Amino acid sequence: MNLLVSYDWLKEYVSLKEKPEEFAARISLSGPAVEKILPLHSGLDGIVVGKVLKLAPHPQADKLKLVTVDIGRSSKLEARSSGLKLVCGGTNLYVGQKVAVALVGAMVRWHGQGDLIELQAAEIRGVKSEGMICAASEIGLGEAFPHEEKEILDLGQEIPEMDVEPGTPLSDALGGKDDVAMDIEVTSNRPDCMGMVGMAREASAILKRPFRWKEPKLVISKSKASKPGIKVTIDAKKACSRYIGVRIDGVKVKKSPWWLKRRLMSAGIRPINNLVDITNYVMLETGQPMHVFDAAKLKGPEIRVRFARVNEKMQALDGKTYQLDDKVLVIADAERPVAIAGIMGGEQTGADEKTANIVLEAATFDPVIVRKGSRRLYLQSDSQLRFEKGLSQMAPPSAMARAIEMVLELAGGKVMGEPADVMPLTYKPLSYSVTMDEVNGLIGVEVKKTEMVDVLKRLGFGVKATGKHIKATVPWWRDHDIEMGRDLVEEIARVIGYAKIPSVVPIAVAPRETDQVIQWEDRLKDITKAAGYTEVFSWSFVSEDMLRKASYDPTHLLHVQNPLSSDWLVMRPSLLPGMLQAVADNQEREKDLHLFECSNVYIKRSSKLEARSSVDKNRDSRFSEAEIRDSIWTDLPDEVPEFALMIREADNHEPWRKAKGFVEHLFEEYGITDVHWKRISRDAVWHPGRTAQAFKDDKPLAMVGEIGPQMSEAFKIKGRVGAAMVNIREFMSFAKISKTYVPPMPYPEAKRDLALVVDRDVDYREMELAILRADERILKVEWFDTYEGKGIADNKKSVAMHLTIGSREKTLESSEVDGVLEDAILACKEKFKAEVRG
Amino acid sequence: MKDQLEALRLEIERDVKAAKSLEELEQIEVKYLGRKGQLTSMLKGLADVTAEERPILGALANQIKQTGLDLLASKRESLASSRYDAVAETERVDVTEPGIRPPEGHLHLMTHTIREITSIFEKIGFYRPRYPEIDWDWYAFEALNMPPDHPARDDWETFFMDAPISKKGKMVMTPHTSNGQIHELQRHEFPVRMIDIGKSYRRQIDATHTPMFHQFEGLYVDQGVNLTHLRGILDYFAEQFFGKGRISRIRPHHFRFTEPSFEVDISCGVCGGTGLIPPRSPLIKGGVEGGSKCKVCKRGWLEIGGAGMVHPNVLKACGVDPKKYSGFAFGWGVERVAMMKEGAKIDDIRILYQNDVRFLKQF
Repeated sequence: MNLLVSYDWLKEYVSLKEKPEEFAARISLSGPAVEKILPLHSGLDGIVVGKVLKLAPHPQADKLKLVTVDIGRSSKLEARSSGLKLVCGGTNLYVGQKVAVALVGAMVRWHGQGDLIELQAAEIRGVKSEGMICAASEIGLGEAFPHEEKEILDLGQEIPEMDVEPGTPLSDALGGKDDVAMDIEVTSNRPDCMGMVGMAREASAILKRPFRWKEPKLVISKSKASKPGIKVTIDAKKACSRYIGVRIDGVKVKKSPWWLKRRLMSAGIRPINNLVDITNYVMLETGQPMHVFDAAKLKGPEIRVRFARVNEKMQALDGKTYQLDDKVLVIADAERPVAIAGIMGGEQTGADEKTANIVLEAATFDPVIVRKGSRRLYLQSDSQLRFEKGLSQMAPPSAMARAIEMVLELAGGKVMGEPADVMPLTYKPLSYSVTMDEVNGLIGVEVKKTEMVDVLKRLGFGVKATGKHIKATVPWWRDHDIEMGRDLVEEIARVIGYAKIPSVVPIAVAPRETDQVIQWEDRLKDITKAAGYTEVFSWSFVSEDMLRKASYDPTHLLHVQNPLSSDWLVMRPSLLPGMLQAVADNQEREKDLHLFECSNVYIKRSSKLEARSSVDKNRDSRFSEAEIRDSIWTDLPDEVPEFALMIREADNHEPWRKAKGFVEHLFEEYGITDVHWKRISRDAVWHPGRTAQAFKDDKPLAMVGEIGPQMSEAFKIKGRVGAAMVNIREFMSFAKISKTYVPPMPYPEAKRDLALVVDRDVDYREMELAILRADERILKVEWFDTYEGKGIADNKKSVAMHLTIGSREKTLESSEVDGVLEDAILACKEKFKAEVRG
Repeated sequence: MKDQLEALRLEIERDVKAAKSLEELEQIEVKYLGRKGQLTSMLKGLADVTAEERPILGALANQIKQTGLDLLASKRESLASSRYDAVAETERVDVTEPGIRPPEGHLHLMTHTIREITSIFEKIGFYRPRYPEIDWDWYAFEALNMPPDHPARDDWETFFMDAPISKKGKMVMTPHTSNGQIHELQRHEFPVRMIDIGKSYRRQIDATHTPMFHQFEGLYVDQGVNLTHLRGILDYFAEQFFGKGRISRIRPHHFRFTEPSFEVDISCGVCGGTGLIPPRSPLIKGGVEGGSKCKVCKRGWLEIGGAGMVHPNVLKACGVDPKKYSGFAFGWGVERVAMMKEGAKIDDIRILYQNDVRFLKQF
């Protein structure tokens, strides 16, 4: 949570000599971090206090007046005893009025709207005007001094205590001219620093400056004759560890004095009226949220702290009506909720101009209940942001004492009866121990015992040091934060300053190797990139719609229970849907797309169903779809590493060839031989006539082929898409990085081309194997063309190959090579009824 | 016969002189001096001359052969050099036309960044394990000393899976890679020096957050590990990843699984850690007096993420004795450090996961 802290205000609680920049730099390294320093009075240059000397009607316009204003002699403008002549349309002008005068060159916001613009001397309806009398909203003071349209800022009325000569710069007159607001990040464990006092205490400890805050004491008479001014009952004892209610009668609600408004505004809070402003001021000062009720509007009058009843409703101070339930803690009167505890007060019982009698509240609510209530109701407030961090039940008394003091001073009235202070559980201060060795061992440098003790004391701990042991009693304002001896180490180290700790790089030999899957993923990525493919990163979770498009039934897949949107709902069982989407999204951008992804997919694992990647999805007939669908995700998903690539080229009608070639290249690179390719003809995703699966020792390594036309259509992809998927786990179990050298043939090899005409459904791979088996001197068979059409009978095709023929024993004679070729032809004739193409 | 030989010499001289190509010279050599050439056939006639004439004519024939070969050689040389003159014109191409490039692939910016981080830590002896992205509450929160009512365990901030609650709690999409700390410590193999990099998930999306992102989690646990080592690693990383002269600093912060906890800042590379851009020219408005505020950083520093000394409760949850072992951990966003790198100029993180080739092909 970030806090705006006026530096001038902070100095009321701690003596500081540092400039804001110095303060910010030092405090950030040991305590809450100052993120920004903002000037508080920017934009008031060239605006001075003026006094209206004369008013005259404008000769040309009824609604405008000619005004003569005394702006003194100190002004940069030519001093004129006769005063400055202006034209003004203010409806509340009078002679003797103290006003804010913008001189030529000042920055103003016309009618409080639009951008700041530089004021120019102007002629208004034929009369010269050398400046402008400002409305509050025209110079950024609209929140401090709300006004009707056309009303100018009446300084004398708004700030009666202002006693300055005409011509005084307005920023001087308002006070705090050089003040800055520091935007400070306070971490969630330090709600004690969410107030001036706590921040000052930190500053005092870190900078070793005197702390000036004197905690006000709430006095409650123990005598039997005295009675509490308001009846307070805590029903929800675990949710509210303390409630103090104080009744004050006869108060006068009015505007707050300027100094109070100025403080609130420096912290970004809008002034309302003196009572509300006091509760906000005390919260900003002490960190303890407060609330004020109009006692006349409380039924009873009494206060009950309880959970709301189902279907109870309450209109809060933001004007909205909230539907409550039994998880939301409320403050109620005899009949109904009057505040959502720790979050926001009710509109019906708030203090307004007519309020005369009030009940002040300072209480401690359970942080989790406040947080959950706020989330349930979608309602946040400065109060809730503090309570949900965990406040001490020892905080309310002094805050209440401070609030009473201020009400009596600024609104008058009389405290009725005794403060009602209800505390279901008694408070016991915490205390923890730490040894010097623990401190020094963790910090890595020697810190003297006296220094350790001094730091803890300055932070408010009660310290007892015996030998090497340090025992510290936790001050109440840290009772949600300090949980063990280790926390004391942090206190000591941070206040001394982390910058004083030297920096030592612990270099060593890695005790273990990086995970094998990661290593293989990296190799795959490199080889794929080198082959010209571009890596994509798709979401791990996808929409049901996308899955259905890709023919997956999402019902049995792992769902996110609380998705951000339906686009990110189901854990992907395959990389394919995301890749298809990427192809679809990019097809208009580039005519040729070569994409790949290498990442996890999420597959159900169970004792019955083996971990399966989508490489062999739909091919495992051992389990019915129903079995898979009905099983619940009782175990974590198997995060299966998968690799997929897709090719779409404008002029390529056989992209499958590149997909397969890539996988062949992969096998070659990593020494995987004797791969068995099986045609896949039944599949929802892949093309039934253009897909094959690679097996090694019956393990599925990869799928290659073309994406089925129905799939391309579903994703609105134009043209054919070649795809390859690699099951990384199986692949890496066969892949080898080390290579084995085979000496080249010692004698020249002969090359022969062969074209055979066979039935169309004869697989090339079968022919290749038959030829290789026909004679061991056939070293290599390389396909180079398949032809169908003119000159070839129907249902026949001509397959052309290069044959490499050779021997390790000798150079083969031409006649021997011809003999080998004849063997090959004969084998194919026998097996496939092949004919040599004439 | 002598006259015939002299005539042959003249013929050779004439032909060689007239020849315009190496091929012609080759033909001339074969025609006159080859195995079946005119000189050889003439020499067959030596059998018919007198014994006195024979050595004289033989010597003459040899002389003619040598002369011929010399002429051919020098003509070849001159032809060769003049041929090079010719190719400049005859084979001229427009060299400003583009070349034919090899296939150009691209790795995703995240892969590049993850690799860079990995290699920085591998150099000083860290290894990369692989731990679940979807894990049980116990690993993601409970063992990390986060109480059951911690806000991160609300379904407001963290994604939960639609799955039954197990003995180890709810099934969650890890909002950080810190569950890796627990898995790693449970192996009870010391020293632990891991850099765990993986996907994480949070319920947030804006210019600096995506619901899926990557974190890198460093964990070093051994006997005698202290704050000086953490500071050392941070300075090392700052300089290795962001560049020479960049340093780190730590400030107090709060995390449940470390104590003490820190926010780590890296000195700004644009303003050199001063928070101010020096004045460039007196002509630039506001540029004369001390320059302007650096727009890249917060007062000279850039926040990189959290770090801290491993909380004793975390060690205990993993069955590790906190009296014997200590260590530090940090977990930062890969996207964040990639975007923090000077010159990266990516102002909206969401572009990373839109798979737009116009973005992807820039890396």
